[in-house]
Amino acid sequence: MSSFALGKRLCNRVYALFRNSNHRGVLISRRRLFTELQCSSATPQNYVLFNCGVSDFKNISGFPFSTLRLFSTQVAIEPSTADGLTVEGIIGNRWTILEESESDWRSHAAAIAQSIHLIKKRLQWKKLMMRLELLSVELNKADLWDDPAHAGKISREHGSIMGKIKEMKAFERELLEHIDMIKLAREENDAELESESLNALLSMRRNSKEKELEALLAGENDSCSCYIEVQAGAGGTESMDWAAMVMQMYIMWAQRHGFKVTVMEEMPGEIAGIKRATIKLDGEYAFGYAKAEVGVHRLVRISPFDSNKRRHTSFAAVAVIPISGDASTHVQINEADLRIERFRSGGAGGQSVNTTDSAVRIVHIPTGITATCQNERSQHQNKASAMAVLQSRLNQLEMARQAQMNAQHTQSLSDITWGNQIRSYVLHPYQMVKDLRTNYEVSDPDSVLEGDLDSFILNYLSTSLDKD
Amino acid sequence: MGSAVPLQLHSIGRGAMRLSISRAYLAAPHRVRPSRSICSSSSKPRIPLFLRPPNYSATLTDLQKWHDWAKTLSSSVGSSFVDADNGPDSALLHRELKWLVEDAVEDKSISSELRTNSEQNHEHNLRNVRLKVGIEELYRLWKQRIHERRPFQYIVGCEHWRDLILSVEGVLIPRPETEVLVDLVAEVVSDNEALREGFWVDLGTGSGAIAIAICRVLEGRGRVIATDLSPTALTVAGYNVQRYGLQELIELRQGSWYKPLRDVVGKLSGIISNPPYIPSDNIVGLQAEVGKHEPRVALDGGTNGMDELIHLCDEAAVMLKPGGFFAFETNGEDQSKYLVKYVEDNHRGRLCDLKIVSDFAGIPRFITGFLNEPL
Ligand SMILES: C[S@@+](CC[C@H](N)C(=O)[O-])C[C@H]1O[C@@H](n2cnc3c(N)ncnc32)[C@H](O)[C@@H]1O
Repeated sequence: MSSFALGKRLCNRVYALFRNSNHRGVLISRRRLFTELQCSSATPQNYVLFNCGVSDFKNISGFPFSTLRLFSTQVAIEPSTADGLTVEGIIGNRWTILEESESDWRSHAAAIAQSIHLIKKRLQWKKLMMRLELLSVELNKADLWDDPAHAGKISREHGSIMGKIKEMKAFERELLEHIDMIKLAREENDAELESESLNALLSMRRNSKEKELEALLAGENDSCSCYIEVQAGAGGTESMDWAAMVMQMYIMWAQRHGFKVTVMEEMPGEIAGIKRATIKLDGEYAFGYAKAEVGVHRLVRISPFDSNKRRHTSFAAVAVIPISGDASTHVQINEADLRIERFRSGGAGGQSVNTTDSAVRIVHIPTGITATCQNERSQHQNKASAMAVLQSRLNQLEMARQAQMNAQHTQSLSDITWGNQIRSYVLHPYQMVKDLRTNYEVSDPDSVLEGDLDSFILNYLSTSLDKD
Repeated sequence: MGSAVPLQLHSIGRGAMRLSISRAYLAAPHRVRPSRSICSSSSKPRIPLFLRPPNYSATLTDLQKWHDWAKTLSSSVGSSFVDADNGPDSALLHRELKWLVEDAVEDKSISSELRTNSEQNHEHNLRNVRLKVGIEELYRLWKQRIHERRPFQYIVGCEHWRDLILSVEGVLIPRPETEVLVDLVAEVVSDNEALREGFWVDLGTGSGAIAIAICRVLEGRGRVIATDLSPTALTVAGYNVQRYGLQELIELRQGSWYKPLRDVVGKLSGIISNPPYIPSDNIVGLQAEVGKHEPRVALDGGTNGMDELIHLCDEAAVMLKPGGFFAFETNGEDQSKYLVKYVEDNHRGRLCDLKIVSDFAGIPRFITGFLNEPL
């Protein structure tokens, strides 16, 4: 066995120990380890193949400006095996993909390559590379730091895209390395090494499924917490009852995901249901998932409010607003532009009245945008929460405005307001929930209304990202 | 308020200790009139429900039973209280019930379980839930809320006001409207930083709400003297001041309006007050929560409700230092207008810059002004 292979094997062993910890971190430490082991004996070719990971890494942690050009060329290098096989090449080979349980390295490799392909599509790879190029040019401008807020935003975005690209490249290289290993093991009749590498491929294959999912939530604000608003459509009590059902569906869905749910405001209907309500979901990727629910939701059923038992159609509209920490879309609110109103009041007020209702509504006069909060126990806190909602709404408006200027992002952001009809819930004469965007449907409305929404959401996210 | 006795049994311990610390302070250093010490006060406030130790427990089933019962009871109210005296409707009572649960249980996630509880498995429902008050007491408390119209804030022993949580036992429950008085002070001191220093007074402090909130607005640079006629109020205010660790900055004095302030005549940076302003004849027709439960001395403002307000304005001209600020809460438009006119007629050239400020419901609620600075 060559010293190269030995080093690599050792490396794999150590690596296997850490398999389950943080993925990217492990990749890096593994490469470091490997360079140390193989430094004296590497052939020039191997050196190039395995060492670019290390130099990449140094570049990330180093000061970005001097190395920018390097970056763009480096990420453009197409990784390959010792005999020149690339990920695209693997896909081109059309190796049959078998069950995971089949120990066939070609099958694993093909499955992984396909995942890589899908993930890249979901990340909008080509656009990402173009954007990176654009940002690199910006970052190299001499007057960049004249506007520190802008500079910060640019370099943050650059960093985040760079991170995604590197992670993908590293994943590709890992696949190709394992293939190299397997070929080597066969040449050297090293059954142990072969089965180790095969196992490594298998776990990569499993891991790549997770990555596919992660890639669905790679949008700018996807990891943020968010507000969900539900508003009853025309049609009085019938629609208000439907709006309440929709809200309840989201609350139950959110609880399943472990998001913290806070009811910010709730305007009850006179007889039943709600006119509108806003909830806040705190948790990672709340916005990324919930954004798939934006639009009008339609219900068909025999109305419980109709004594003649006729069929009714009702509508409820859903809006989702990210709670973004991005300073560049943070709108400065001028106190003088606000009108603050007691929400429900009447009578003399002051000492004559005891009430636990201290809801307030804040109106932003220039835009007409309003926000209400009533779930807090003091007026002061209701005001603060309503301000936070108002802030997010204004930020969202600003985001949409910036997106219009920046055609790159228009598509992902334009539909995060009240949208078109997206889903139909039929309870009568048959039972079905159907998403009109994906045509995905199930025949069990009850479970959907109890918050079983993930398949609808994932289907929508993947169709909207996977279409060509 | 006959419910005090059984609850008090469980409020010994930490609360009592805190109180004695606060008393010790109150008897100590910068008191100008030690003879008026509030140590004479007989009662001490119960610890607010949410601060009590979780010394009780009940099965989830029993808690659920109580909750269902309480919900039905609140639903039965419908709009009858609204129609009778503009009291709470069922929706409001449901929300109060939710807050009562939040205050009464140790593990807050229980409250969402109670609301969504669909037939969960038996074992789950036999689980014990730790409570800050016994389950029988919960029944008693909610009966008091509905049948006696006892204010929710007395049931849980606290009011959330601005960013504070205050004990309100036996004193006027601070109103949301009054929060604005503090914003007015914040505005004035940010326009004129010098006013942050010196003495501010809160006359008729009740729970100490205004005193504590403005003390925080002054950022430790000014001193606050809070007065009240009622020893109960001073005890409660002392407890709250202590809870917010402001005993070095807020001094409590007993006495009628400016009487305990003889040592600071003409030296005050600001005078803030929410004095009783309801006309005596209106007291009987008040919402039950207010008229039947809150102390009359905190509400009754004499024949036309203006006795105290007029006295406060008259003396402000003497008590403030030049440039000093005053802000008083009133019953609404009529009183505010009357006061402005009264001050213009009687203190022309002394009290100036008079303004009427509305609350968030749009009712002209506050009158503010300054003591003229000599040219
Ligand atoms: C409407 S309450 C206001 C309490 C508190 N400042 C607040 O805003 O919540 C009026 C307060 O004035 C007190 N008070 C009534 N007559 C008084 C007097 N002659 N001198 C001082 N305080 C008095 C009452 O005890 C009561 O605490």
